[in-house]
Amino acid sequence: MIQINQSIENREQNKATARILTVLSSFASNIREFGISELSQHLGMTKNMVYRAIKTLEEQDYVVRDPTGQRYQLGFRVLELQNTFSPEPTFRTLCAPAMQQIHELTGETVSLTVRARDYTVFIDGIETRQPGVWRLQIGALRPLHVNTTGHVILASLADAEIENYIQRHLADIPENDDKPLNPELLWQDLRSIREKGYATTVRPGPLPMLSLALPIWSAENDLHGVISVGGPSERFEPLFGTLLPQIVDIVNVLCQRTRLYSANAAGSEITL
Amino acid sequence: MKVDKKPKHTAINSSATHVFDVLREVSDGAEPAGVSDISRRLGLTGSTVFRALTTLETSGYVSRYRNLPQFELGMMPYLLNRALLNQFELNAASRPFLRELAQETGETVSLNVKLGWYSLRISGVYGSRDIYHRDRLGELTLLHRSLAGRAMLAFLPDDALSQLQSFLKGSSEEESTSDTWRNVADEIKHIRDRGLDLEALKMSPGFSAIALPVRNQKGEAIGSITINGPVYPSKGTGSWLKIRYRLENLIASSPKRFVSPFAHISADKIRFQNLVNKSMN
Repeated sequence: MIQINQSIENREQNKATARILTVLSSFASNIREFGISELSQHLGMTKNMVYRAIKTLEEQDYVVRDPTGQRYQLGFRVLELQNTFSPEPTFRTLCAPAMQQIHELTGETVSLTVRARDYTVFIDGIETRQPGVWRLQIGALRPLHVNTTGHVILASLADAEIENYIQRHLADIPENDDKPLNPELLWQDLRSIREKGYATTVRPGPLPMLSLALPIWSAENDLHGVISVGGPSERFEPLFGTLLPQIVDIVNVLCQRTRLYSANAAGSEITL
Repeated sequence: MKVDKKPKHTAINSSATHVFDVLREVSDGAEPAGVSDISRRLGLTGSTVFRALTTLETSGYVSRYRNLPQFELGMMPYLLNRALLNQFELNAASRPFLRELAQETGETVSLNVKLGWYSLRISGVYGSRDIYHRDRLGELTLLHRSLAGRAMLAFLPDDALSQLQSFLKGSSEEESTSDTWRNVADEIKHIRDRGLDLEALKMSPGFSAIALPVRNQKGEAIGSITINGPVYPSKGTGSWLKIRYRLENLIASSPKRFVSPFAHISADKIRFQNLVNKSMN
């Protein structure tokens, strides 16, 4: 009987400790301070649970009260939780869990791309085991205007920079509505990406392919890179409407983390 | 590391205390740690440590090392550290200036701020050179023990050094001889006279480092910029000082914005354990 009681007590303590860690994890964002009610709403815990967790964290200086004394901010003792012997997360390691989640959700190929001046370069990916695979070519360079991923990167740039790019790469192409490289069509696509926050494309051919590309933002509000997921339209399209909001949610959570890092610090900044 | 012993723990928060003790033990180790290592070092039972590690792993605070029964820090502590560093407005605001210095020198340029009686590295930009000095963000050192910290000490009120001595009195970090303090006092006088500090890094033969204090509108140091690498100060400090001057002007233009997020906490209450393992200096 004593053993059973001990086991129940341990389980309750573990749950309470897990809640304390969950509350602390909420501070891993660029939001500086939280009140008890906000945390309770955000985490779906009762105010009492949040209050007890905060008190325990405050006792150990992992959170401290803000200058008003009413709200809580990250405490200085968090600085003890680092290891000088292991490397800091990079853009690839930050994105890896989200890429795995998207792959498990969709079953399709997921890739990670960064910008290298006027090109995109694939730096990581997970290939689907299903037939009809979008081949991942790590290290492959593509001009920014030729694929969806590149369009997401272009859409994040200032208008003048995009015009400059068009002058360098597309100015000599005659205007023709049938050509995907028409600057006007490119601008339409970029405006749509800016509005929606992501890009979708169906690439025609014997096996039409549907792809979705989402921007991954940095601390300076520019892009670290792009996560894309794609597969044969026949397979991916029927599920797309249901999967899209879930993928967007995964990427939003990821961006809360990547927004803590500048591109220079996370290693997503590449120069050629 | 000793287990924290704070009075009046309830069952829940003593369990949480063990979890944080285990987490700090994992974060201090040069190698990934197993249950028995941690259990021995903390004097806790194997089952307590195992439960703590399981809870920490589920929450992303530790992760298994190569599928072995050994643990290393997970992603979450790094994210929390980064979030804390971002709370300093000076972090983002200084980055364009650090970039300029990194472009000009090709070396690693960092910004350190004063946190209690410590120097904390909050921002860094790497230069263009293939061989570079790797600075770790979040690194903490007592003010008198690092180049960046001494550059700050030199531009703090006159009694700062004696206050720092009092802060360390009786702690494991207390200096064993008064010579140390005499040397520090001499050095900060020298820095005041020159306006910058320079030293050869002991860990990297042939490399040197320079520290430029960053002051607020009252002339007090709130941070310092360090440039690390095979730098040659005689050739270029004039332009570096101009860049620092522009950053100081920005700080003077909106002083409230750049107040430390921990300014409302007494410096003597901000104390860290096991800094020897946390510092590369």
